[in-house]
Amino acid sequence: MSGKSFNAFEMAQAQFDHVADILDLDAATRALLRVPLREYQFSIPVRMDDGHVEVFRGFRVQHNDSRGPCKGGIRFHPQETINTVRALATWMTWKCAVVDIPLGGGKGGVICDPHNLSAREQEQICRGWVRQLARNVGPLADVPAPDVMTSGQHMLWMLDEFEAIHGKKYPGFITGKPLGLGGSLGRTEATGYGVIYTVREALKQLHIRPEDTTASVQGFGNVSQYAIELYTQMGGKVICVSSWDQTDQTSYSFKKVAGVNLKELLDITDRFGGINKAKARDLGYEVLPGDDWLVQEVDILIPAALENQITGENAGKISGKVKIIAEGANGPTTPEADEIIKAKNIFVIPDFLANAGGVTCSYFEQVQCNMNYFWEKDEVLGKLDVKMTSAFLAVSALAAKRKLYMRDAAYVIAIDRVARACRERGWV
Amino acid sequence: MTNDNDKKTSIDKLLEALQERAKELNCLYQVEEILNEPDESLDVICPKIVRAIPPGWQYPHVCQAKISLENKTYHTPNFMETPWVQSADIVVQDMVIGTISVYYTIEMPQADDGPFLKEESKLIKTIAERLGHFIMHQKMRLVVRDWESAQHSVTEHKRGEWQVVLEMLKQTDRNLYISISRKMLNHLCWSGVAEAEKILRALGMDQKVTEEELLDDWNRPHQRRGRSFSADISAAAFRIASDHLSDEEILRLIQKWVQEDKLSFLVQVVNRNLSLSEVADAIRRYHHLAPDEPEIPSPSKRGIRVSLIRRFLSDGLQYINVAKHFVDVRDFYHLLHNVIFSAESHGKLGGKSAGLYLAAQILKRKSEDDDLLGNVKIPKTWHISSDVLLHFMHYNDLDEVVEQKYKEINQVRLEYPHIVQTFKSARFPADIVKGLSVALDDFGDSPLIVRSSSLLEDRMGAAFSGKYKSLFLANQGSKQKRLDALMDAIAEVYASTFSPDPIEYRVERGLLDFGEEMGIMIQEVVGKRVGKYYLPAFAGVAFSNNEFRWSPRIKRDDGLVRMVPGLGTRAVDRLSDDYPVLVAPGQPGLRVNVSPDEIVRYSPKKIDAINLETNSFETIDLVEFLKEAGYEYPAAKEILSVFKDGNLSRPSGIGIDFDEDDFVVTFEGLISNTPFLKQMEAILKHLGETLGMPVDIEFAFDGTDFYLLQCRPQSYSDLSMPAPIPKDIPHDDIIFSANRYISNGKVPDITHIVYVDPAKYGDIADRQTMMAVGRAVGKLNKLLPKRQFILMGPGRWGSRGDIKLGVNVTYSDINNTAVLIEVAVKKGNYLPDLSFGTHFFQDLVEAHIRYLPLYPDDEHIIFNAKFLDRAPNILPDVLPENTDLDGIIKLIDVPKSTGGKVLKILMNADLDEAVGILSVPSAEETRPMPLKADRVEKQSENFWRWRLKMAERIASQLDPHRFGVAGFYVFGSTKNATAGPGSDIDILVHFRGDNRQLADLQTWLEGWSLCLDEMNYLRTGYRSTGLLDLHIITDQDIAKKTSYAVKIGAVTDPARSLPMLRDPRRG
Repeated sequence: MSGKSFNAFEMAQAQFDHVADILDLDAATRALLRVPLREYQFSIPVRMDDGHVEVFRGFRVQHNDSRGPCKGGIRFHPQETINTVRALATWMTWKCAVVDIPLGGGKGGVICDPHNLSAREQEQICRGWVRQLARNVGPLADVPAPDVMTSGQHMLWMLDEFEAIHGKKYPGFITGKPLGLGGSLGRTEATGYGVIYTVREALKQLHIRPEDTTASVQGFGNVSQYAIELYTQMGGKVICVSSWDQTDQTSYSFKKVAGVNLKELLDITDRFGGINKAKARDLGYEVLPGDDWLVQEVDILIPAALENQITGENAGKISGKVKIIAEGANGPTTPEADEIIKAKNIFVIPDFLANAGGVTCSYFEQVQCNMNYFWEKDEVLGKLDVKMTSAFLAVSALAAKRKLYMRDAAYVIAIDRVARACRERGWV
Repeated sequence: MTNDNDKKTSIDKLLEALQERAKELNCLYQVEEILNEPDESLDVICPKIVRAIPPGWQYPHVCQAKISLENKTYHTPNFMETPWVQSADIVVQDMVIGTISVYYTIEMPQADDGPFLKEESKLIKTIAERLGHFIMHQKMRLVVRDWESAQHSVTEHKRGEWQVVLEMLKQTDRNLYISISRKMLNHLCWSGVAEAEKILRALGMDQKVTEEELLDDWNRPHQRRGRSFSADISAAAFRIASDHLSDEEILRLIQKWVQEDKLSFLVQVVNRNLSLSEVADAIRRYHHLAPDEPEIPSPSKRGIRVSLIRRFLSDGLQYINVAKHFVDVRDFYHLLHNVIFSAESHGKLGGKSAGLYLAAQILKRKSEDDDLLGNVKIPKTWHISSDVLLHFMHYNDLDEVVEQKYKEINQVRLEYPHIVQTFKSARFPADIVKGLSVALDDFGDSPLIVRSSSLLEDRMGAAFSGKYKSLFLANQGSKQKRLDALMDAIAEVYASTFSPDPIEYRVERGLLDFGEEMGIMIQEVVGKRVGKYYLPAFAGVAFSNNEFRWSPRIKRDDGLVRMVPGLGTRAVDRLSDDYPVLVAPGQPGLRVNVSPDEIVRYSPKKIDAINLETNSFETIDLVEFLKEAGYEYPAAKEILSVFKDGNLSRPSGIGIDFDEDDFVVTFEGLISNTPFLKQMEAILKHLGETLGMPVDIEFAFDGTDFYLLQCRPQSYSDLSMPAPIPKDIPHDDIIFSANRYISNGKVPDITHIVYVDPAKYGDIADRQTMMAVGRAVGKLNKLLPKRQFILMGPGRWGSRGDIKLGVNVTYSDINNTAVLIEVAVKKGNYLPDLSFGTHFFQDLVEAHIRYLPLYPDDEHIIFNAKFLDRAPNILPDVLPENTDLDGIIKLIDVPKSTGGKVLKILMNADLDEAVGILSVPSAEETRPMPLKADRVEKQSENFWRWRLKMAERIASQLDPHRFGVAGFYVFGSTKNATAGPGSDIDILVHFRGDNRQLADLQTWLEGWSLCLDEMNYLRTGYRSTGLLDLHIITDQDIAKKTSYAVKIGAVTDPARSLPMLRDPRRG
């Protein structure tokens, strides 16, 4: 177990170094941004259901708050490490910066496996976590959110403890809360719609009318469904969508050249986005192998399922007609595939930007909570459109001007914004 | 014309005969009703019986009846004696005390016995017999009553009370009087009273035989000498007694002997192996004799109890041992109320009935001390005794079907559908029909389940369960319709005794010669009507031992509950497309699924129910059903949670809005807000402790009450028996051993090991490579022989996000493995947590994939790193594109690396030990074959041998010139000797001919394929669309190594060439 083993934080630093070179950042800025501003590591003693006490290890890393309060999830993970948390906090800083919302990056976690814990024990961990950090987090300092193995329920326990300690109501302390308890409308739609807002802008720049385009989508979960909804409203035609089949333990692509009908597909889809194969056939869909979504003759590809789906092996099969790849999922494209896509001269909207609708909506939740006034869904989605559009325009403008690959341009613009904030505050 | 007339008359005759039978039965039934009033005097009873008789005879309008009893007569109005008479004696304690007579007032046509039918003779005898019994009961009651009043007077008059008693006995029950006198004489004799000895000797009943005599002729019977016992001797005996014993002592002795005598008839009846109806009569008699008396333990009573248990419930010693403490004689009285049997029946209730009955008795008794058990109910149940099956067959002249089991299994299989049809169209004997009719009146129109309760189920426990049928009946419509449906179902359950699966199982277990009989349990289905469906709120199964622990914090004895909404059928079976909710009663807080996404994904989506409109058992979509009828659904708040915005919450006070809300079955309310799990824990604990073994119960909840439906020992299916672990395994043959968190099972015949080296995996520096490992495992999962390889890897299989902790795989990447092994290797001072398969735990459970954690750093543990290191790695041969991963993933072909051995994993939860050893393939051992190994293919020598032989036969018949064939190969399971009963035969044909030859070849082989499929069906019961899986390759394929061409001369698993037909002209 030596230094050469995989270390997420080192990877995040390497990525930063690469962009820092492009930006030609000075040594002090690099030193500041390469490591988190603050890290908390602490113990959470919990009396277990059977009476014995177990001590859990908790973390919170605040990578950078030059642009605003830190924002980032809390993970319950049995093998959580400080390096993982550092890396994720760093990425949160860049992610908030690329959509230009006034938040910094943070991440936290507890080493535990909820599968071995009762609900009461988990509640005690949540409350213990807040007790340890009550003075260092808060709506104006650091705003947690759900993440791996934590849910709205955990957020409510944490909020309750925080408010109990401070003796006041602070709904903006935490996001990811259920509707009616400080949650925001429009969260379900946010990521899928966000993807299409950026697609719409990209088409504009390519001088293509959405009505003249076709798309193929991987996955039929939440992101994909709302992306298809908005894209179809814009006049586009989705001709192929892939979905996971739980029974067959494989995925299939469902193709209809005349364009898929979202409503009829949703009627034959389970909660997890699994489309009923037989019923789809009855509705006139062609049922193809799972990978076929990628090889369709379309203008737009939207991978919205898993990571590492477009690889060096299959990227060559992408049709020459494809003009845009919008990454709805996290990390759907491998570095080898990126090279092929670059060569094919396809316009890529990187995950980082394309699926930032989610974090933007969390920001809106916090804003609404802080003023204790909640917007209607239209207002949330309208504001989301503005944010996503301007973020996209900034990145694409930079990419065009500096001849950067879109993925690099997104990082460059994000890190530049953070570096500038630090400089303007006089930190470096 | 004449013919027609004849025919008509014969039909008329038949009809008349049938009507007569009905009348007779009705008459008997009425008499029974009348005699069911034990408190009525004879003066009331006899006139009633006299009136009930004539309607049962052939010519009621000219029929009259008379009962003469000692000095009294009872008769029908306007009675007069005529010559056309038929009589039967009324006998009590072997003495004729009266007569019943039936007269016709005018002369009627000649029949069997004068004008009387032979059935009528039988009927009058039966009535006389029943009346005799009744009178005897009454007499006995009288004795007891007098006796009790005498007892009262004991305290008042100090002297002479036992004389009063004795005198009374002498008057009322001479036999008893004599018997007691004899006992007194014996007692005195044993106490050393010389006078008594003298009388006894005079009687020749002296038991004292001299020693010489004994030694002298010990194997010759002693001569019986002497004269009979008389009233004088009795008087003498008691005279002597009064000289030697106190009054109290004499009274006590008489009391004791009278008590014992009260039981003696029962002892005799039970021990003489009389028919069930005779035993039932005796029990009824006993009950009426002493209905309220608390049972005092005495040796003879215990004896009776044991005998009754043996007669009705089970002859298993272990069962009797427990049951004798929980079942009283009077319990049989109530039980027998609901038992249907033929007059001559000697059967038992069968395994399922016996198990449930005892469990119910235990819970009833234990509920006195434990409130949690207080409200456990048993659904209304009727039983049919096991040998009624034989009577049913005999009645329909189907006796020879019993021999079915000795036929060839393919014949059994072929004939089974006909047997089912024959049984279903057969008739039930009239007394059974009557019994079923009474039962149906009792059940009303509640839906019913007809379950098998066979003797082998009793003997073999759970291992034999599920082999026979259980059928649901909606039980709707007219009484006749319901009765027909019930008989139809019983006939079908009867027929399943002769279905090929249990017979095959019995052949394998050497149980063929066991006289299998099939009891039937007719149970009311627990539930309520919801919409057009009938179903319980929820139901399921619970086990004392948790063999599927998903967290190291769960102990084995924390138990396991599998439950589903609706009928429990979905919880009993492993499901392939749905998930029951699992919870450990001892650790209710530790759930299998934790995040909302997991909970939703692994929640039940379907529900089994009885459709009352179509009278059928259906599986319906839960959401659709609840949208329609959710507001009527009982206990919906306890079962469902509302899923909104990614969060799950228990329904609030208003409840669920079934039109708007998205709801999920979680049982959250039930688990956290009700004492349900505590109750379940108590039930499992009490039953387990009392029966002395872990139990497996079925339960259901109708929204109001909790019902126990079945209870049996938690033995194991063939697949999850605790495997015996040999102690003398050579050290070198052990690949690994384990002693923590072990479940049960035996996984033989593992041919490949996929080993992801924990140290090497931990050293991977980039995420891409880690992902590649996961994808390579996924590819191996598709390529390696299903359920014959194991996956061993570091930490947590299925890690997402931080995949350094374990290989990033989804369930589809591992779903063909036999065992999933997680290896926890210490890093510094730090021992990584294992996942226990949590990422896909329920998928593993339902697919029967074993999980095993290994801790190589533990003491006394073997982890054969040497073998894993040194065995050749064939990964580059199998996955050439992943050759770069061969430092991390090791793929071991076990037989190749060990000279033909395979890996066998033995897991024993009782010992908490598991071991993976190299051994000879099991096809070379003789071992019993599992019967229904759902997803795990059963392997037996026969299957592959036969397939290989057939493949050789095809090849030898195939003319290579005619069809343009250059080579004929077999590969896959047939070649590897791993074929199961449902396996196909993989054939590879190297083809060089033209299109026409190709078409001919395919047609020719198609014929073989269909033919073999039919043969295979007859042998195994597995059917497909053809047994041959044909792959055609050309020279081009071979050159390019495309398609199946790689199988020829492949490194692993090469295809085997078979010789084809040689040109006869060339000899």
